[in-house]
Amino acid sequence: MELIKHNPNIDFIKYRKVAVFGSLAVNLFVLILLAVRGLNMGVDFAGGSELEAHFTRPVSASDVRKAVESAGFKEPQVQEYGAAEEHAFLIRIGKVSIVTPEQASQVEAAVKSALGTDLADYRFDPDQGDKFEVRTKGGTDTKTAPDEKALRAAIEGKGVGVMGVTVKPEPNGQGFNVEITTRGVASKLETAFSQLNGTGTATANPNDEIIRRIDYVGPQVGKELRNRGIMAVVYAMVSILLYVFFRFDFRFAPGGVVALIHDVVVVLGYYVVSHREFNLIAVSVLLTIVGYSINDTIVVYDRIRENMQKLRGKDFPTIINISINETLSRTILTSGATALSLVGLLFFSVGSIWDFAMAMMVGIITGTYSSIYIASPVTIWLEEQFGRHGHLSGSSGNQKTAAA
Amino acid sequence: MDRAWWAKVLMIVGITAIATWYLIPTFFYFKLPADVRNDTEVLQKALPSWAPSAKHKLNLGLDLQGGIHLVMRVDVDKALRTKTETRTEQIKSTLKDKNIAGAEAKALPDDLRVQLTFNNADSAKSAEKIISDYYQDMHVASGTDTTVLLAFNDQDIKRAKTDAVDQAVKTIRNRVDQFGVAEPEISKRGSDSISIELPGLKDPERVKDLIGQTAQLQFKIVDDDNTEAQNLFSDVQLPPGVTLCARSNHCANAENVPFLQGPDRKVLKELTQGKAPEGDEIALEKQESPGQAPTYRTYLLKSKTEATGENLIDAHAALDQTGGGRPYVSFEWNPLGAQDFERLTENNIRHRMAIILDDQVMSAPVIQSKISAHGQITLGSNKDYNALLAEAQDLSLVLKSGALPAPVTIGEERTVGASLGEELISRGWKSCALGILLVVIFMALYYKLTGVIADLALVLNALLVLAVMALFNSTLSLPGIAGFVLTLGIAVDANVLINERIREETRAGRTPRGAVEQGYGRAFWTIFDAHVTSLIAGFVLRQYGTGPVRGFATTLIIGILASLFTSIVVTRVCVDYLLKNVFAKKISV
Repeated sequence: MELIKHNPNIDFIKYRKVAVFGSLAVNLFVLILLAVRGLNMGVDFAGGSELEAHFTRPVSASDVRKAVESAGFKEPQVQEYGAAEEHAFLIRIGKVSIVTPEQASQVEAAVKSALGTDLADYRFDPDQGDKFEVRTKGGTDTKTAPDEKALRAAIEGKGVGVMGVTVKPEPNGQGFNVEITTRGVASKLETAFSQLNGTGTATANPNDEIIRRIDYVGPQVGKELRNRGIMAVVYAMVSILLYVFFRFDFRFAPGGVVALIHDVVVVLGYYVVSHREFNLIAVSVLLTIVGYSINDTIVVYDRIRENMQKLRGKDFPTIINISINETLSRTILTSGATALSLVGLLFFSVGSIWDFAMAMMVGIITGTYSSIYIASPVTIWLEEQFGRHGHLSGSSGNQKTAAA
Repeated sequence: MDRAWWAKVLMIVGITAIATWYLIPTFFYFKLPADVRNDTEVLQKALPSWAPSAKHKLNLGLDLQGGIHLVMRVDVDKALRTKTETRTEQIKSTLKDKNIAGAEAKALPDDLRVQLTFNNADSAKSAEKIISDYYQDMHVASGTDTTVLLAFNDQDIKRAKTDAVDQAVKTIRNRVDQFGVAEPEISKRGSDSISIELPGLKDPERVKDLIGQTAQLQFKIVDDDNTEAQNLFSDVQLPPGVTLCARSNHCANAENVPFLQGPDRKVLKELTQGKAPEGDEIALEKQESPGQAPTYRTYLLKSKTEATGENLIDAHAALDQTGGGRPYVSFEWNPLGAQDFERLTENNIRHRMAIILDDQVMSAPVIQSKISAHGQITLGSNKDYNALLAEAQDLSLVLKSGALPAPVTIGEERTVGASLGEELISRGWKSCALGILLVVIFMALYYKLTGVIADLALVLNALLVLAVMALFNSTLSLPGIAGFVLTLGIAVDANVLINERIREETRAGRTPRGAVEQGYGRAFWTIFDAHVTSLIAGFVLRQYGTGPVRGFATTLIIGILASLFTSIVVTRVCVDYLLKNVFAKKISV
């Protein structure tokens, strides 16, 4: 069987300028979008809210996931939690606060009027969840402790649901620390969960509450770990550059790395444009594409090197074009086979695994494209810019001078 | 068939057999019910006696099988109270240094305040000035002419609380990593808790012990007075790179007791094995200087552990205010540790004390005077200021990573399901299997018989990767699977390269044997370069990456090596065999 004619003789090099400018435009677009809109960082990187939900009857994780998604929280992480008979789930969502500025000011007003002159410090940070932190002054005598019920009533009187109020004495004995969690996230989810639970409506009795707890969770991969990861990839690229430099020719190395960066940017583009969650799985996709892109480019380079020996007398762009044509069937076959292994995932999986497969698909396509239209044109361009003066191996340089 | 061919066949069969053998524990692991299989003992019992030990099994990551979810609460209030006590001691010594007579400092830990009393208003005033210069995180809360009440600033209290939790996260992460649990998930939760998830462990008690402990920090006395040790190592055959430093051979840095120096820790360990005189032991110190590979030297220590780090509260780098700003490490003991340490230092003045962390000497300063609760480690002086400061900071970090900043308590402990979600995983497995099946069918259709051979190599490749991972008890998580997919892609690519080359050569009119020779010969360097570049990337990522990046890199490295073997050696053996008969006239590719 043969899918691709053995020597298709396509003039790839002819369209290289169009291709390079097109790619440049796409890359720029992605980078601008990345700067303007940014990645939709997942809980792994940005932290989020973790909540514990208990149901009164068996429900499946996928139903819980669907309910969370229907409440407007995208790509939640749903894990079974504790013993099976508890019907409990641990849910992590990226969006930490859904308190509107109006609601926030309502709460502020309620707290101020309820505590009056006892109020020492009032703080609301949307990054920490639907949580308001209040400090009082005047010592930790229980008589001066703020009344939980009164506070709750005051805030609910303003039309903002309250999940919980905790009052703790400050460690320095100067007052009380009051934490108020509003029902923003919780009530939205409870409405969605109540149908699953078979109760029909959100429960009023706090003991039957589906959502027992809601907490802010910090990122699993903090800044330090993230920077180390990025540096690891940079070091890997530099090492590859050095290898290509020594094994092939110094003119080849930059093209390979530019192709690599191109592919990484395009895959990032998938996450920027679709606004799907960027998490640790996405990182592994990027790493895979780095590996794939290198592999693909090296194979084409290898043929160019071989042909530079074999086809003495032909100019550099021609040699590259012949080499691309000769390796074309291999390039398409390999990419096709790798893409084929993802087809199953694309058809039958959901959620983050589907994103994994989709981003990989994007990466494979761009990896294949870039070894033809990015790596080689960059090599030709470098040759044109510096080839006449620099160190040249093979016959291409001589040929160029002769032609010029 | 010639002997070289038979030798290759034998090797392939042998490797396949060993790989299969190492997958036995993993096979039994998946056969056991999910709720008991993580117990090593249960697995060991289920294994036949001739199988490898249950230690050699493939683990699944947190994302694929879930594990234990622990919530640790950090007692930040306690950390603040301790800070208040430490600060009181610091203020005491500062006031003493500055000759403020009749000053007394008293910690009021429950209020997070320090109370100072003075003889007269003047010294109170000057003390107030000194303290506001030295300790900018405090302010004067109230006072009279002769008393001053110092309190921490609000934002500094907040920062101290966050620092305590962040420090605990770091320490716990270090410890869990040392424990060898691959890819744990550790994150801060709320304002004073840490949530920890560990894959598949059935032994939470061990984990809790580990997390709650301080690292093994020991103090021992360097046995410089041992007269019997003058000829220590004199009968040792020194391997290249190892040098002996002793008075007898006029070594410039010679000490009373000879010592060995060398670049390899293991070599030194073996050389010194059993050399120590009765009651003594030999330990190594790692010596680093910028831009150079680390070297190791030996110390002769008295075996008795004089003090341990159990009672260490804090350590930080500081500058000597009186001695021209030289950096040193200051550390704090709780009362119990202070007692031990006082006895140790009092009895060993002018001796060197080795500070040993996890069996490695960190530093061996000379004890200048009796030290109790508040000790300091002065560092060697043959370095410049910046190097010394960096060393002091590093040492204090090490000491601190041994000491949790505040007590932690286990808030709750539950089992959790896979973080990817069970239903995603079961769908994922099925669709992965479908994908691989499609590739296998495609290869067989496209390259016919040689395609089937390539498929065989692919299956063997997968088998080898899993076996090596099982051998090292590695953890497979989704990033690892991504690495696995990549290596399968690369393995397919190698076979495509070879087969396309054979087709080209056949088209050029070569005989089947010639086409195979040329095909493998020419494709070899392409495959080699492609594999080596990926391998380099893999090693760099493994070296510098963390967590999931490392998991990815590990599978990638194993997979690439396996792919080199299967695509070049294994397929060649099959094709060579077929060349004898089936492909003799016409090759099916």
